[in-house]
Amino acid sequence: MIRRLVFAALFGLLAAVPALAHPGHGDEAPPPANAAPRGIAHSDIFDVVGVLGPDARLWLYLDRYPSAEPVDNAEISATLDGQPVPVTRSAEATYVIAHPLLGQPGARSLILTITAGADMDLLPLDIEVPAAAAASVVTQGWRETATRAAAEPVAWAAGLALLLLGVVIGRAAAPRNLPPMVAPDGIALKPMTEAVSEPHHKPAAGRVPARAAAAPMALILGLLALPATAQPMDQPRRQPDGSVFVPKPTQRLLGVRAAMVDRADAPVALQLVGQVIADPNASGRVQAPQAGRVEAPPAGFPTLGSRVERGQTMAYIVPVLGAQERSGVQATLAELDSQIGIAQQRTQRLAGLAGSVSAREIAEARAELDGLRARRAAVAEGLNGRLAVQATASGFISVVAAVGGQIVDAREPLFEIVEPTRLWVEAVAYDGGMVADIAGARATTAGGLGLDLAFIGRGLALRQQAVPLQFRIVNAPPGLSVGTPVTVTVQTNRRAAGIVLPGEAVIRSAEGPPIVFEMASAERFVPRPVRVQPLDGRNVLVLAGLEPGNRVVTEAASLIAQIR
Amino acid sequence: MHRRRLLAAAALLPALTHGARAHTTRGPNGGQLIDLAGGHGELVAEGNELRLFLSDNADRPRSVEGATGQAVVLAGGRQATVTLAPAGANVMRGQGDFTAATGMRVVVTVTLPGQRPAQGRFTPRDSE
Repeated sequence: MIRRLVFAALFGLLAAVPALAHPGHGDEAPPPANAAPRGIAHSDIFDVVGVLGPDARLWLYLDRYPSAEPVDNAEISATLDGQPVPVTRSAEATYVIAHPLLGQPGARSLILTITAGADMDLLPLDIEVPAAAAASVVTQGWRETATRAAAEPVAWAAGLALLLLGVVIGRAAAPRNLPPMVAPDGIALKPMTEAVSEPHHKPAAGRVPARAAAAPMALILGLLALPATAQPMDQPRRQPDGSVFVPKPTQRLLGVRAAMVDRADAPVALQLVGQVIADPNASGRVQAPQAGRVEAPPAGFPTLGSRVERGQTMAYIVPVLGAQERSGVQATLAELDSQIGIAQQRTQRLAGLAGSVSAREIAEARAELDGLRARRAAVAEGLNGRLAVQATASGFISVVAAVGGQIVDAREPLFEIVEPTRLWVEAVAYDGGMVADIAGARATTAGGLGLDLAFIGRGLALRQQAVPLQFRIVNAPPGLSVGTPVTVTVQTNRRAAGIVLPGEAVIRSAEGPPIVFEMASAERFVPRPVRVQPLDGRNVLVLAGLEPGNRVVTEAASLIAQIR
Repeated sequence: MHRRRLLAAAALLPALTHGARAHTTRGPNGGQLIDLAGGHGELVAEGNELRLFLSDNADRPRSVEGATGQAVVLAGGRQATVTLAPAGANVMRGQGDFTAATGMRVVVTVTLPGQRPAQGRFTPRDSE
């Protein structure tokens, strides 16, 4: 009897696990033992994975081959063991087949006719429905639950008995109201005592345990009914052989894309360190032309990031004089004032004697007065006047060093103006011979922004044992700042043969060497150590480790590598 | 004994009926050769006729006596079903409403006596 009970309990446990191991394919490792039963097929256009859900529905995941791009709104007609079955679209690029045959154990063959746009294809799919999956058909509704209860009466009776036992123990262990330690002098204690003690006399007392038992029952039934609407979610995991099993739903979340690789001839490239600089022809630095105090123009100093035009007044410099200098100027002014006074009186006197004095004398006196006034104005200008500082180029203000009232020395920088559409990159090469012939160049910022470069020239004088190289950024993107460090990939005219892959396809493995993930089948990814060489900012050249015709993950490779 | 053979066939089935890998091998009759039903299958498509040659893994002709078969043909954007019947020692033959052309796809389901149905996918007129 005990043996029968144990057997029943084990069987019940087995039935609760929706999936069971199914035989794998001869040329590849099987999916993990606890993954749902599945079948895969692909042609040169489509890639189909069929996963048998715990509700005996077959979920089809349709992708492009070899890109692994989901194919949505495809028209699929299916034949299951010779019978046409309806296929419905359930989510993006996910389709469902529901048929009673999928609930019966055994091998099922499915023929899919897929139409997506102009592409049509015919694919066979084999699904092995395991006995356990068929037995664990989870259905919604009471009748099926009752049938299952009837099929395994011992297990269910044991479960119900345990549940009732729990309820009884729970009731027995429920806190009872103790008699108050002190006399109930407050009214606050009274209603509580009443509320607990009262039900013993009420007729509704019997309903409480019934309700307490009904709640967990409802919860259990709800849980039983829940998985019927969800698609099977297998865990992505690393297999013992090092490959990674990533079920299709997870691949969709990660955005996995792949490509068929081929051998190609690519130029040899090398990487240099550089930084963004401003084009000296289109940018400018505004410096104080002489020592003095900085004053703002009427509209204020131009602000950071604002646009200025060449010749626009950006600040004023008011010369600051020392005490001795100032007294000297003031003495000159006083002297000039007195001379002007004398000259004025003389001019007036001569003008009054016009007729008896020669016209030449009057004109001379006037000229002298004018000259004295001009001299005074010039000297006063030096004492109180100010000098306009003008923009040396058109562009945007990138540095503002000017502060109102600040005393600056001559040549002190006040502003820097940068034209953001005209930027250069300066890089240094430690091996001058390697950059003797440059076929093309590309820069990548730390943030991964790619910049197309045009070579300008190289310096003939070494700077700190390195050859300086300058490049012009073609179509500089907005938001690029001067001084941004970049990695410059220079393509030389030498060529090498290999497999070109996007840079993000190659990741560093935990062991160190770079790897790529080969998509060995629709859900199996095999890490392949490779030897790579930079090509340009975006692509790398795989020299060894891959064969033409391998299907390699080009996007989300780093996410696959994180699966343990 | 019989049961053991069945089990072996069942273990081999998924591997061999996969039909997904692009086999471009040509058989002795000029048709596409793939792994099928625990051996090899070679499909020749001409006009509106399909001929399926069966051989074992050592390329020896395999008897098709008592075998039944069906082929789904997708050619020129249309789908047709062809019933294959034994027509010789190792040949199954069937005719249907299609015209063999480049790009045609055929999924063959063959049931050999005492075995489970085996599926295979052919692209018999692709020259790749």
